[in-house]
Amino acid sequence: MAHLHRLELDLDVFAGPFDLLLALILREELDLLEVELAEIVVAYLDHLEARDELDLEAATEFLVLIAALLELKSRLMLPGEELEELDELAPAEAAEELLQRMLQYARFRGAAEWLTGRRSEEEGWLYRSAPPPPELRRVQATEQAYEPDVLGEALGGLLRTPPPLDLRHIRAPRVSLADRVAVLRGLLRRSASFSFDEAVEGADRVTVAVTLFALLELYKRGEAGWEQGEPFGEITVSAA
Amino acid sequence: MTPLARTLEALLFLSPEPVSIKDLADATGAWDDEVTETLGELRHHLQGHGVALREVGGGFTLAADPATEAAARRLLGRARTPALTPAQAETLSIVAYLQPVSRPEVARIRGVAADSATSALVERGLIEEAGRSQFGAVLYRTTSLFLKLFGLRSLDELPDPERWDPSPEEQTALRDRLLRAGEERAA
Repeated sequence: MAHLHRLELDLDVFAGPFDLLLALILREELDLLEVELAEIVVAYLDHLEARDELDLEAATEFLVLIAALLELKSRLMLPGEELEELDELAPAEAAEELLQRMLQYARFRGAAEWLTGRRSEEEGWLYRSAPPPPELRRVQATEQAYEPDVLGEALGGLLRTPPPLDLRHIRAPRVSLADRVAVLRGLLRRSASFSFDEAVEGADRVTVAVTLFALLELYKRGEAGWEQGEPFGEITVSAA
Repeated sequence: MTPLARTLEALLFLSPEPVSIKDLADATGAWDDEVTETLGELRHHLQGHGVALREVGGGFTLAADPATEAAARRLLGRARTPALTPAQAETLSIVAYLQPVSRPEVARIRGVAADSATSALVERGLIEEAGRSQFGAVLYRTTSLFLKLFGLRSLDELPDPERWDPSPEEQTALRDRLLRAGEERAA
């Protein structure tokens, strides 16, 4: 709608934003019969040309609006005594078209009268309007889905902050880097070289990993060197 | 009154909406035929009472006798709802016969826009939305409240609308008059 608001129209009977024109026509303050709809279309095409891009959404909206206006206008031209505008149609054709519409309308006008009569006959009958007591109400899944309380409860569960996880059952790591560095240093003091397997004999995977890390640490500090003849082969650790 | 008739009366007393024979049979464990027959007994029993048994909107329901209406309205403080305007009645009749039907179609038949009549009918609970047409227009159908308020068992009870068509003579007269108007214009 944003683009339509900016569309200025210079019509013989009206100059202003398109939506105002629409509003005026809908409020019947401006006779639709006096408005040249072709002018609106031309004005809009100019407006589109001035803009480089084609906004499909705005263009579609315009189509819908102009179609509605055309329908309104043609409807204003058809019924009753105001037949002057029907010249394009042959009189017989126009009369037949009009007749068919009048006949269809007459049918539903009759039905409307019948319904009105029926309603006034029935008006005296009053029915229970209170709902049954809540404890007797049938629970329907679809019905309940629209209960604000049910929705709120369902959503509330998602919005609530979950309680902090209890991690006490997870044991704190028992192997520290400092420990393993101390172990390696002890081994180095006892012999000039030893195999890595000796240093981690019977240890679990975490200990093996931390020990390797400790070895790297010692290498970095220049306290130890190591050798491995082949991949997956024995690692020999020696004092630097 | 038989025990079944007593039970049916109680069930209808508790139900705010008309209850079908099948639902009554399911609830009481009786056969459909028994329920139908016993409803007849109940109807007979209630004659001359303040409430009567009525068959509307696809089921059975208890309703206050029209003779009690004025007192009931005073007690409940409810005035009569205003009668349908001609535009509302026309729109309602088109929806009732052609449902599901879109607002543009109603407007086409009536020759004027049906927006306010349609929303008034929706507000009164007589019609409701029933999906969308292939062109995206909202479709409307009548509600069960419509059947109840108009005392109809089902939509099948609506009379054949052809009865309101103008007679062949009237149609001929109309056509002639329209043709003459057209010729005068062309001349």
